[in-house]
Amino acid sequence: MSSWLDYTINGLIIGNIYALVAVGLALIFGVSHLINFAHGSVYAVGAYIGWACFTYLHAPLAVTAPTVMIACAGLGVLIERVGLRPLAGSARIAPLLATIGISLVLDQLLQIIFTPDPRALTSPLPNWRIQIGGGTIGALDLLIAATGIVSAGVLYFFLRFTKLGWAVRATAQDRDAARQMGVDTDRVNMAVFAIASALGGLSGLLVGMYFNHIDPAMSFAATLKGVVAQVVGGMGNVPGAIFGSLLLGLTESYGVAIFGSSYRNLFSFALLLLILVLRPNGLFASARSTPPEPLTGSFVMPSRPVRVPRIAVIAAIAVAAIVPLAGAAPYVLQVLTNAWLFAMLAISLTLVAGTLGQISLGHASLLLIGAYASALLALDLHWPVWASVPAAGLVTALLGTALIAPAFRLRSHYLSIATLGIGEMVGLVILNWESLTRGPMGVTNIPPLQVGGVELDNPRAAYWVTLGVLVLLALLQTRLLRSHLGRTFRAIRDDDVAARAHGISLGRYKAIAFAVGGFSAGISGGIAAHLYSYINNETFTSTVSISALTMVILGGLGNVAGAVFGAVALTALPEMFRGTAEYRMLIYGLALLLLVRFRPQGVFGTT
Amino acid sequence: MPLSRRTLLAAAALPAFGARAAEPIVAGVSGPLTGPNAQYGAQWKRGFDLALEGINGAGGVKGRPIEYDFQDSQSDPRQSVAVAQKLVSDPRIVIELGDFASPASMAASPIYQRAKLVQFGFTNSHPDFTKGGDHMWSNSTSQAEEQPNLAKYAAKLGFKRPALLHLNTDWGRTAKDAFMAAAPGLGMQVVAVEGYLAAEQDFRPTLVRARDSKPDGLVLLSYYADGALISRQTRDTGLKLPILAGTSNYSPKFIELGGQGVEGDWVMSTFFPGDPRPEVVDFVARYRKKYDQEPDSFSAGAYDTMVLFAMLCDKYGATREGMQAGLLDIKDVPSVIYGKVAFDPATRRVQGATYKLLQVRDQKFVVWDGTAPAAG
Amino acid sequence: MSVMLECRSVTRRFGGIVAVRPIDLTLHAGEFLSIIGPNGAGKTTLFNLISGHDAPDAGRITLEGVEIAGHAPETIAARGLARTFQHGRVFANMSVRDNLLVGAHHRLRAVKPRLPGLGAVAELALALLRPPGVRAEEAALNREIEAIAAIFGDRLTPRLDQPAYALSYANRRRVEIARALALRPRVLLLDEPTAGMNESETLEMQHIIGDLKAGGQTILLIEHKLDLVMRLSDRVIAMDDGAKIAEGKPDAVRQDPAVIEAYLGHRAMGEAL
Repeated sequence: MSSWLDYTINGLIIGNIYALVAVGLALIFGVSHLINFAHGSVYAVGAYIGWACFTYLHAPLAVTAPTVMIACAGLGVLIERVGLRPLAGSARIAPLLATIGISLVLDQLLQIIFTPDPRALTSPLPNWRIQIGGGTIGALDLLIAATGIVSAGVLYFFLRFTKLGWAVRATAQDRDAARQMGVDTDRVNMAVFAIASALGGLSGLLVGMYFNHIDPAMSFAATLKGVVAQVVGGMGNVPGAIFGSLLLGLTESYGVAIFGSSYRNLFSFALLLLILVLRPNGLFASARSTPPEPLTGSFVMPSRPVRVPRIAVIAAIAVAAIVPLAGAAPYVLQVLTNAWLFAMLAISLTLVAGTLGQISLGHASLLLIGAYASALLALDLHWPVWASVPAAGLVTALLGTALIAPAFRLRSHYLSIATLGIGEMVGLVILNWESLTRGPMGVTNIPPLQVGGVELDNPRAAYWVTLGVLVLLALLQTRLLRSHLGRTFRAIRDDDVAARAHGISLGRYKAIAFAVGGFSAGISGGIAAHLYSYINNETFTSTVSISALTMVILGGLGNVAGAVFGAVALTALPEMFRGTAEYRMLIYGLALLLLVRFRPQGVFGTT
Repeated sequence: MPLSRRTLLAAAALPAFGARAAEPIVAGVSGPLTGPNAQYGAQWKRGFDLALEGINGAGGVKGRPIEYDFQDSQSDPRQSVAVAQKLVSDPRIVIELGDFASPASMAASPIYQRAKLVQFGFTNSHPDFTKGGDHMWSNSTSQAEEQPNLAKYAAKLGFKRPALLHLNTDWGRTAKDAFMAAAPGLGMQVVAVEGYLAAEQDFRPTLVRARDSKPDGLVLLSYYADGALISRQTRDTGLKLPILAGTSNYSPKFIELGGQGVEGDWVMSTFFPGDPRPEVVDFVARYRKKYDQEPDSFSAGAYDTMVLFAMLCDKYGATREGMQAGLLDIKDVPSVIYGKVAFDPATRRVQGATYKLLQVRDQKFVVWDGTAPAAG
Repeated sequence: MSVMLECRSVTRRFGGIVAVRPIDLTLHAGEFLSIIGPNGAGKTTLFNLISGHDAPDAGRITLEGVEIAGHAPETIAARGLARTFQHGRVFANMSVRDNLLVGAHHRLRAVKPRLPGLGAVAELALALLRPPGVRAEEAALNREIEAIAAIFGDRLTPRLDQPAYALSYANRRRVEIARALALRPRVLLLDEPTAGMNESETLEMQHIIGDLKAGGQTILLIEHKLDLVMRLSDRVIAMDDGAKIAEGKPDAVRQDPAVIEAYLGHRAMGEAL
């Protein structure tokens, strides 16, 4: 049983590493109520600065570490000042989107400057190791642990005993009250970003040394694990984040011990969901009865949505319908077909995230469910495609709703993180449930779209079918939003406490909205499976979820026309920048940032 | 000032005249230039560029230079299908190379097949890739051929009870199944199989699990970056086992990222810089000179593919039909990875790669001297 | 007179603090009962316990004889209890009309058939198909909420289709009350309906609440403005520190030494007496 000691130590070592990232995320969330998706990018920047110091300046660690921290603190200040402060006063969702954009830009810059090749970040520490259990730990493990403990201690001292620390705590508790008491909350924000980013950069350096490996793609994984860890501990709670990280590390290690490596992340996300369901505000959260009463709608930005006149809608559909006849190249049709498929996902997401106010970060998993449902019905049960696609919509509606239902009682960010976890779990179940899904080999030879024995395998036919289905789904959703369900969903979004006081049972209406959303997304996934002919667990990843969210926010939350617009714009933009090759995602990120900056409520406005 | 501007203009005008004289032959490339797999796209470009330097430097094909049009797909199926439509409707394109990962390649296959444009998926080892249609070809080493070779080397190294770690993707899965099928015939019993997730970096618990099955060797079906991580972490978990890694670990990055942690590891490779074959000597020397680094199996694959393309153009005509006809017929293409390339018309894949066993000695790949490891 | 709402020994603790000490309260049909007391006396906590937004640690609460303590707020609302909130909780991004229609949510019948198990599916289908019965119901509700808006004179009627965030503070309070009325409550709980209103607005609100009372509405009110309380209430309960310190006719409570003491103890409110 000595192995259990090894599993425990290994779990603590990796948990220790997660903690370095989670603490910075927790600090920023505590003060700004913002999940900083750019934190992982700052971490990656820190690792690369460290690499440059070691490689070009041959600097010792004692010089490199402070350099990394100062540079990353500067970067944090820059992010706060340039990227986020101009968005103060707009809805909470705008800065979230801004951090996604900043992350994209930073990652792309790293990739362009340092090439996408992984690099070795060799630890200059002495190479002695201590035997513990069957394994060993080295100087670097101890340094990482010490960094975690010392930074938590310094943070504690700073928050308790310095004037700026008091201001940070006051701002975290009640920003408006703090401001009225003369606290310069902008300065507090900046200080918090500087501290968190300095820590983030240092962790990038240390983790890079630990693995002797850095690459520009390291940021997203770090953000994901850090966010999970800090949610487990209770968002915004620094000791909670450390505890959550260690618990996450242990769960992964024990999960591997019991079930094997391929199940690793399944267990970390299962732990996350379990904790969220049992303790909806994290392990370290203090119990709070009702949430503070909002004076105005706090979630979405008050805005007057652009009313698209009926005639314009009809004209737009008509134009879209004749595009193939107007001699558009198959490439253009394919890009637009992709846009229509994305638009189905976006209207689904805009319903749950915009109208109902439940921001889902795992929406791509609905595409996976739909794609597998339709593909397997067609291949294994020999259903005709015209029947398997709508059936996939229904399956996704039911399964998607059933999966998210336990999380219905969660609020705002906790719900978002739960959807993120559920989304990742769907992918992992598909990877591991081989008897049904064929595992990593994926499903091949999926029949093309066909109606009545006629194969619609040319770009024009695929274009018209997806456009037609999209128009149908969009009209249905518009009709739904004009019914009593539309106002019921919006009431839940604006103030679920008041909604309940008027007899609205949240579970029932959340289920209806998720089912309708699941249907659209499932259809989109189902059609995609037949267009691609091959799918596997990596066909729709979490980046698709994030793209869908940016489309929805760009178009205006809850706005069906906006969602379609967002899908077309964000599918077309990277295609338009195709000529810029390696630079195109950078340009895309910058365009996204500009849009958030100048139109935070979305192009078409929230409804 | 005006003078230099005029000089610039004249310089800019020159290639235009040249182009009029000889229209370039263009290969379309669909692959990752951005996104998580961008490093492989970067390696491809190095391989392509090196090959073209040689081909175009020698006057191109019948006086026409060869070019490639690299369309970034991020190896994402949504984008690879759009790229496919773009490439098939571009009359300049006579062949398509890529995509990187199977989901992206296979989603685009129906489009290439309908357009009768050859899709040459030179990294697509998914057994079903070339079954997507008669225009899907690959010179990727087939796992069905590679893994029995790896298993043979494992047996030669004295492995009786190896533990096997593989990347849990379509590629790693195919490789694992092929290895497992070959092992019993060589007197090996695989005692632990661990499929790990892509993007995983922490292998300590996985290695403890493998350790507990008391293996006498570790087989890695990984890419070089994960392979280096796993090898480094074995000593941290107290495992003192000989490690044998598959061909996709052959990269200077394996040693750079692994450091002392990969010292003594065995890596199987289809080529290596010390190989006396002239193709390899030439490739390695020019690669080192141009990029100041060692080539790896990804850049070698890209290089081979571009050389093959030039030969197809030369012998069978730079048309889409020429490519398809040529692939069915061509023989004895010089190759870094294979001795000489010819395609099996039934599977549309290449047989007969040469596999060598290398060992990391003093932070360099050297040919294995044949001494088996001391019993671990 | 029948008993509409009854609390028996209702208790609520937060950690070590007792927010509501065992308290009894009886509200009869058509009665107007006010609860007064300094800030922090536990009035709003008691409201939250009655409306289901919080659950008591001990004690019983019955609405028309049915136990409701610890039930979900939506269940209690469906039994005919409506409430407003101290700081206002209008649906800011929705029009005044939609705010009021949400108030009438639990009375939807045609679009919400009582089908065990399939209720939600039927509701979705009916909302999309919109058969004549559903359309008629929606039209009737619209007429009804227009009538409710008219209670507030020309304050709300011209603004029915404006978003609530664009309204003045006083108008948002009015929307909140109108929304509660749209539920056609058997019992109406008003939590400081005139908070933040100036004198003339308060007077206007006093008339409206007076009219509701005259119309037979059963009302439980929390209010700091004692003038309004004295004029409208049938009975008054005074609370301090989570406990009931006096109960009776308005004048009697006002002159109760314990009440004066409580308010003097909280100097800020002493002026109000």
